[in-house]
Amino acid sequence: MAEPSWVWTLAAVLSTVAGFGWLALAMAVHWQQVHGSGVPPRRALRALGGVALLASALCCAMADRASMAVLVWLMLLAGTAPLIAFTLAWRPQLLRLLWPWGGRRSSPA
Amino acid sequence: MFQTFRQSMSWLHTWFGLTLGYVLMVCFFFGALSVFDREIDRWALPDTRFPAQPAPSFDSVLKPIYAQLKPHPVDLAATQARVVGAIPDPNTLPMSSLYYYTTHRDPVLAIGAEFDIPNKPQDASDEHQHVHGWATLDPRTGSFLREGQLKLGSEFFYPMHYSLHLNWMNLGYWVVGLAALVMLAALVSGVVIHKKIFREFFTFRPWKRTQRSSLDLHNLSGVAGLPFHFFFAFTGLVIFASIYLPLAETLLKPLHKQHEVMEAAHTGLAHEPAGVAAPLASVDAMVAEAKRRWAARDMPGEVGYLYINHLGDKNGYVSIFRAGNDQVALVGQGVHFEASSGRVIREDPPPSAVMRVNEFLTGLHLQHFRHWLLRWLYVVGGLLGCVCIATGFIFFVEKRKAQHAKRGSMGSRVVDALAVAAVPGMVIAAVSMLVANRLLPGDMAGKGEWEQNAFWVAWALSFVHAALRNRAVAQAHISPAWREQCLALAALAIAAVGLNWFSTGDHLFKTVFTHTYWPVAGLDLALLAAAAIAGFAARQLAGYARRAAPATAHAPTLSDAEVQHG
Repeated sequence: MAEPSWVWTLAAVLSTVAGFGWLALAMAVHWQQVHGSGVPPRRALRALGGVALLASALCCAMADRASMAVLVWLMLLAGTAPLIAFTLAWRPQLLRLLWPWGGRRSSPA
Repeated sequence: MFQTFRQSMSWLHTWFGLTLGYVLMVCFFFGALSVFDREIDRWALPDTRFPAQPAPSFDSVLKPIYAQLKPHPVDLAATQARVVGAIPDPNTLPMSSLYYYTTHRDPVLAIGAEFDIPNKPQDASDEHQHVHGWATLDPRTGSFLREGQLKLGSEFFYPMHYSLHLNWMNLGYWVVGLAALVMLAALVSGVVIHKKIFREFFTFRPWKRTQRSSLDLHNLSGVAGLPFHFFFAFTGLVIFASIYLPLAETLLKPLHKQHEVMEAAHTGLAHEPAGVAAPLASVDAMVAEAKRRWAARDMPGEVGYLYINHLGDKNGYVSIFRAGNDQVALVGQGVHFEASSGRVIREDPPPSAVMRVNEFLTGLHLQHFRHWLLRWLYVVGGLLGCVCIATGFIFFVEKRKAQHAKRGSMGSRVVDALAVAAVPGMVIAAVSMLVANRLLPGDMAGKGEWEQNAFWVAWALSFVHAALRNRAVAQAHISPAWREQCLALAALAIAAVGLNWFSTGDHLFKTVFTHTYWPVAGLDLALLAAAAIAGFAARQLAGYARRAAPATAHAPTLSDAEVQHG
């Protein structure tokens, strides 16, 4: 292994957060929470989200043995979904970092 | 009875969830604490706050300690009740087998042994003719830990989550097993009644009415944690399968016996002693050989489990298993030696597919691996389970309390009082135990008993308080007991951190920065986090109460109050 496993684990965490963030932004209701108005580029965000979740699975597989990686990935998904939901409830602007374009106020808050 | 499939699922989900939800709350909360059971032990037993270490030399350190180990009085009494005649002086009973078990998180070493007894059993089919001895030792000095101390994490919180400490007839295991089964049914029925799993995957609207926002949170925690909830309820049942379906002890007993004999013939590990005395060769040399073989297979590691059977007999053997730090299975790659010569009898082949699945399922639940992120994610999963159950209770009460208030029914009040005891009350009980642990003197006789009393009394008080204070629910308001117990919890959690500092000198600055010791720092930080969350919750609840108050002040009638809640 070239990189230590924690680099892969960190990459897995980040891509799970980004992946779920993009999948949430692909939904009109959450897009409006984040951007105030407009409609999301649905397809692009969904594809991006799907790819990021796949990437996080691959990163998990790089960091640990397959049997362990499965657990880490599933638990990352379980932990990240509420994180995105809470961000949408209390600090939706933060998700603009994942997709700054769109809505009336297009600059990140 | 029901118009649609969904209605019948909804009924099942509501009523089974309500009745066994309280048990599940205990399983999930104390299960989440059990993820860090060894760390909680370090906090509770300051003498053992030193780094985790591999097992010491058997020949020079452990052998003389095993010679001092005696049958445990508790097991002696239990065994005496099952056999004919008095058991001879425990100091004269011969030790027939011994073991130790350790993980990468254990500074202290748990050891145990079986002693043969000459007595006949009262029940002829009872073949268990042993008494057991066990102890925990400090491997640096080879001394036993003081008796009467309770390892709060691994001896109280951990068994709480699977046995509820109801040991009579294994009642707790059966209640928890039933609850796990109901959990699986609740998950399936929950998915059926939810309808909008994907559309509301990220939906949480705290600004909506309590009934709606608690349902959001219920759905969110249930759906996000679904794989975790499913697998932990399921693997919990798998782990105790032999209790729930004791086939090898009942219907299939002859087959099971036959299998043991055939397996012994196949593996070369004798089933019975030969009756010929033989010495014990160097166990350290066997450990070294086992480690060499693991390294040769490109999986170097430490000993997780060591077992010697038929001690002092020619048929004696030593089994050495590798600690599963880097794998889901607890231990593995066993190497077995002839005790008298140190000759390798057998190296375990890779497990079969069935064994592998079993090891994966039990291992993922019992988690002896080294993976701190996954460990914390398990805590998150367990707490998501608690959130899911707690919001289920709140939704139940919110949905019905107005009707109940109108009809004068006590239903919501009872559910609400139990919910207060199950949510803040249970945490209060656990933290009270930590506070008692730091307040009671370390050398006090029977300290562990008093700590358990503190736990149960605190929990009972929480329920009594919740029951006395929840008249508001009958007027369709939120019970003030929620807020008051959140405040009590915050105060207790801060007190526990303070008492740890004053009684041991291990304050957070020291345990995080100057003499880093994460087991203690982690629990202190978790206590402070719990205090912060409880304080925040109390403030929010006070806000609700203020907003609801003016309405009841001028119109304290039930029909008016009905529209004010939330």
